[in-house]
Parts: sequence; structure tokens; C-alpha cells
Amino acid sequence: MTRASLTLRLLLVVAAAELLLAAGLGWAGIGFTQRQLRAAFDTELRGRLLSVAALVRYPETGRTLLFDATLLPPSRDRRHPAFYRVLTSEGGLIASSFPADVALPPPASGPEGVYPGLERGRFARRVFWHFERDGLDYRGLVLTRVPVLDTEENLQGPPETLTVYYAAPMLDFDGEAAAAGLAIGGTSLVLLALTLWMAWWAIRRELHPLHELAQQAAAISPHNWEFRPGPRTAATAELEPLIQALELMLGRLHASYQQQREFMADAAHHLKTPVAILKSTLQALLRRPREAGEYEAAAQASLQDVERLEQLLQRMLRLARLEQQADDDRVRPLALVELGASCRAALERVQPLARDRGVALRGGGLDHGSRVRADPDDLELVWVNLLENAIQHSPAGATVEIVGEHRAGSVAVWVRDQGTGIPVEDVPSIFERFRRGNASRPGGFGLGLAIARTIVLAYGGTIAVEPHPGPGATLCVTLPAGA
Amino acid sequence: MRVLVVEDEPRLAANIARGLRENAGYAVDLAGDGEQGLYLATAQESSGYDLIVLDLMLPKLGGLELLRRHRAQGHRTPVLVLSARDEKESVVELLNAGADDYVAKPFDLGEFLARAKALIRRGKGQGSPVLREGSLEVYTVERRVRRCGREIQLAPMEYRVLEYLAHRPRAVISKSELLEHLYDFNWEKFSNVIEVYISGLRRKLDDPFPDKLIHTLRGQGYVLRAGDDPAPEV
Repeated sequence: MTRASLTLRLLLVVAAAELLLAAGLGWAGIGFTQRQLRAAFDTELRGRLLSVAALVRYPETGRTLLFDATLLPPSRDRRHPAFYRVLTSEGGLIASSFPADVALPPPASGPEGVYPGLERGRFARRVFWHFERDGLDYRGLVLTRVPVLDTEENLQGPPETLTVYYAAPMLDFDGEAAAAGLAIGGTSLVLLALTLWMAWWAIRRELHPLHELAQQAAAISPHNWEFRPGPRTAATAELEPLIQALELMLGRLHASYQQQREFMADAAHHLKTPVAILKSTLQALLRRPREAGEYEAAAQASLQDVERLEQLLQRMLRLARLEQQADDDRVRPLALVELGASCRAALERVQPLARDRGVALRGGGLDHGSRVRADPDDLELVWVNLLENAIQHSPAGATVEIVGEHRAGSVAVWVRDQGTGIPVEDVPSIFERFRRGNASRPGGFGLGLAIARTIVLAYGGTIAVEPHPGPGATLCVTLPAGA
Repeated sequence: MRVLVVEDEPRLAANIARGLRENAGYAVDLAGDGEQGLYLATAQESSGYDLIVLDLMLPKLGGLELLRRHRAQGHRTPVLVLSARDEKESVVELLNAGADDYVAKPFDLGEFLARAKALIRRGKGQGSPVLREGSLEVYTVERRVRRCGREIQLAPMEYRVLEYLAHRPRAVISKSELLEHLYDFNWEKFSNVIEVYISGLRRKLDDPFPDKLIHTLRGQGYVLRAGDDPAPEV
């Protein structure tokens, strides 16, 4: 995959926009310049035409008009001549420098109008035309009714008017337009470079918060969960969703990491004591020669210790796996489990422990047929753990009860014992792992209720201590009823 | 020597007690929770324990809190902590709370016993594991006794009496103190038992040699002292 630079793309867009703008400006500029040049040329053309007309004079005597060619204005382009032709209003030729092969338009074909410099108050006609000669474009102007400028006091009759042709080469038209285009283009290029640099600088400046975010994110590690974007970054509206998403993600990761760490620390702590027992037993045994009976007793005790250790490990791993599953959002396909059957199976399993302890077991409300969506093993483990907990906290001769109830949309199961109950201050913490109520009770690891809670929560249920008067404790589990 | 072991895991407590009794010849009392431990550690008359072995995770009263309260009452008994937490902070916290040493679970029994002996030794102002007074040498590691280079065979209780006296030579040690420190609370205490051991010690330790080490101060107790200076340094 090729890496696309945001800066480069933005700069390309800016450059394209600016080039479009420059092209438009250049085109408009050249067009405008050409029009201006043409207008100026036409004005000059008329001026020269009038200058030619001004050379016509009345004679001292008679009616024939004179033309003084010595005072002709020089051609605008010195290398190529301008052409003129002056006629009387009746069409009599006074002077002409047009070559014979240049076709002249009839003077009366142009539009009628009032033109500056022409006889006041009377309509004149104006015609522009083009022809080519010596490889040059010529533009010509014909004006009718141009008054003879020479005034004579003793003039008889109305003043004479003239028809004047004048044509000049349009030699440097394009050159000048090109120069104007060049000037516009050059300026545009300089401005383009300048604005691109400005854009680059601005983009870099505006993208800086992104770099800062990247740096902050890169610095996150198990030893550093600090994520504090600078004030300018935090105040950037576009980055707000990103920052929020990052903070949310970090929060979740941190919590998960913390949970794992705590679990590891707890596990290490609780594994060390049984290992210490085992180790000290064996070391004490080996410090001096012993009798066979002593070796056997120590071996038996050590075996029990190892079995206990194994049990602890199994439970811890089970809890770790359950917590991982609970974190895993993937929906597992779950079977419908009959609640009553699950509770009865659990009762079956804790029967030996209850017998040992002299505790009676009783089930109630288990024939309802309510079903929940769960892993059958997980569900049974919840009841087993709750029942074991209740049995272990019951005095001999007491009864432990498990009661099911169907509610609207959910099912509830209570496990009641007749033990010493749970002190109010311990209620919030009894479901924490490695928590043992009045801890001197041997045999428990403090994991059963934590496992039960993890399972129940994973299935969207609740588990709580039911407050009730009288002796003993009641734990209540609710689970959503399976459809 | 008498040691209090405060440990809630009965199997571990039994193993520690067994190690201390068998390998060091100490009297051992057990406490199964923090409250009982604090009661025994502080209520004993004449600071009865020569060492307290303390677990941190205890029911009713945590080991650290027990230690703080014990030290707050001015007791100077050496405390050896059994800890499953071996993170730096917690060790620093322990030592700052008044612990003298700690071993991390699962510990080596030999190392544990060596540390226990060292703490008792230092608690009584002794540096070397070999205690000397005049021509007497008490090897506390091997639990052997020599005088003038000659090996002397002692009964276990005789050795324990001598070891206690040798830890504080030239100090007067009463009969009741000896009883206090040589027996755990499961034993009936008869003061004439001490006299029996002292006479046994005198027979084996003093009779073969011209100068006497064990002196009786009537109504006060016993002194282990070399040389002829009759006045004890108290």
C-alpha cells in the first residue's frame, strides 16, 4: 500500500485551485488587454484619419480642394506604411496611397451614428474593415461626412465634407497581449509559490496536534497510562472524537490490565502459602533421620497439601477463564438449560460434603420448568459454589435450602443457610476473590463466590446478599429467563 | 529460648514450630490469629519471648497492624516476618513498621532457622554464633559446648539453660526468667526443675576445672561469669 500524505494532498488541491484561478485571470487579462489595445488602436486610427483629413485645404481660388501630403503623420509602424484615401462628398478623389489591389468597402455600408470630430449634428457613417498585405493584418476605418477643417472667411456655399479611408497594420497587437499574459502568468506563479508555502506552513501547524496525539499514544505503556493532550490539541474540534475514543479505549485497557495484575498478585500470594507448607514439611523431614512412620505421615500430609494446591490452581484458572470470557464480547451459542434440573444436579454434587458436615439439604420450587440460556456446567457450578459456601458456614444439624422462583422475564434462586450470617460490613466484599468470611475456617479458598458472581454477571444476571432478619445468610441469584 | 509463632495456616505453623523445636531447641507458642498473637506478644510478663515469627495475612488483625501496635507499646522483641508479598514497597513498609527481618514464602527452612537464631543473638547483644565466656565456648549453630578445648556433653535442657545464660554473660538471670524463656505455655513450670539443670551443668562444666563459671546469687538468680570478681555486673 502506498502511503498517502495528507499534507501533499491538501497542497495539490490548493495548487490545482490556484492554477485554475491563475488560468482564469490570465485568460480574462489577455482578453481585456486585447480589447483595450483594440480600442486604443481604433481611437488612434480615428485620430490619424482625422489628421489626414486635416491636411485637406481650400484653395486660394476655385473650388478644387488641395491635399498637403508633406504633413502626413508617420505610420505607427515605421517599417510598414499606413494607407489613406480622401474623397469629396461627391466621390472625387483628392488623395490616395492605397495600392490598387486593396479592395475598399463602400463607405455607406456602415452604421449611421454621431461620431466625435465629425460634422456636428449630422449623421456620419463608420465602417471598419480588414485586409491582409505583405503578410500583415491591416485594419481600416472609413468615415463619411468629415468636415474640412480649414476655414475660409470668404467661403461660398456650405462647407465641404469628406469621405476618408485610413488603414494601419496591427503588427504588435498579439505581442502586447502576450506581454500582458506573461506579466499576469509570472505574477500568478510567484503568488502560487508564496501561497503554497503559506498553505504548507499552515497545514503543518494545524496538523501538529495530530503529531502530538501520536506521541502521546506512543508513550502509553504498562508503566505509563497518562494520556493528556495539550490544551491546543484538546481544543481542536475535529480531534475531539479521536481523543475521546482514545481515552475510552485506554480506560478499558487499563482496567483490564489492572484486573489481570491484581489476579496475578492474588494468585501468587495464595499459591505461596501452600507451597511454603509443602516445602517446610519436606525440609523438616529431611533435616534428620526419621522413623518409617514419620516419613509415611509426612508423605500423606504432603499429598493432601498437593491435592489442595491442585484444587486451588483449578479454581483460579477457572476464574481466570471465566473473567476472560466475560470480557470477550463474542456471543457464544448457548443452550436452554432447565433451572430445576441444574439445581438438583448441584444438590447431588454437594451431598457428600453436607453429609460430612452433618448438614441437611432441601430444594424447593425446582419443578417449575423455567429455563435459562447458559452453559450447563457454568450454571451448575454457580449452585454448587453457593451450596458449598452455605454448608461450610452452617453448624452441624442445620439445614441448607435452595429455592427457585419464576418471575416475569427472569428467574430467581435463593440459597439459605442457618449459619452465623454475614456481618453487615462484610456484605460488599463477600464476592471478591480470595475473600474468606471469618477467615479461620479451614478448607476454603475464598474463590467460590467470586466464581459464581463472574458466571452470573456473564449471563446478564445479578447476585446479592438478601437482607433478612434472623440467623443465617441468604444469597439470591437472578437470571434472565430463556425464551 | 522461647518463640511466638503467629500464623493462621495450622500446617505451616506446625512445621515452623517443629523446625524451631527440633533444630534450635526453642520453646514455641502458636497463635492462630492476629488478636491472639498480639495478646500473647504483649501480655507476657518480663517480655517472655526472645523472637516473634509473624505472618502478614492474618484473620482478625493483620500482621502489619499487630507489629505496629506491639512496637507502639515499647516492646523490643525481635520480629521475623513471613511474607508472601515480596514487592519492594511492602518490605520497606515492614521494616519501617518495626520488623527486624523477613523471609518470603515459600522460604527455605534452613535459612528461616538461621535468620531466627541470628535475630535472637542480636537481640541479646551478641554478634558471633559462638558465645565465649572465659574458657567456655558455646557453638549455637551446632549446639555444642567446649571448655578449654574439651568437648562437654550436655542434656538438651542443660544446653538450653546454658545457651540462655551464655547469651547474656555476667548478667543476673532469675529462675523465673529462665522458666519463662525455656518452656512454652503448655508446660507446667516448677522452679526446682531449673535447680536440677543448674546442678547438672555445674557437675559437667565446673567440677572438672579449678575456676567456676556458674554462680548463684541467693534470692536473685544465676550468673555466668569467668574470673574471681565476685561482684556481678548488672
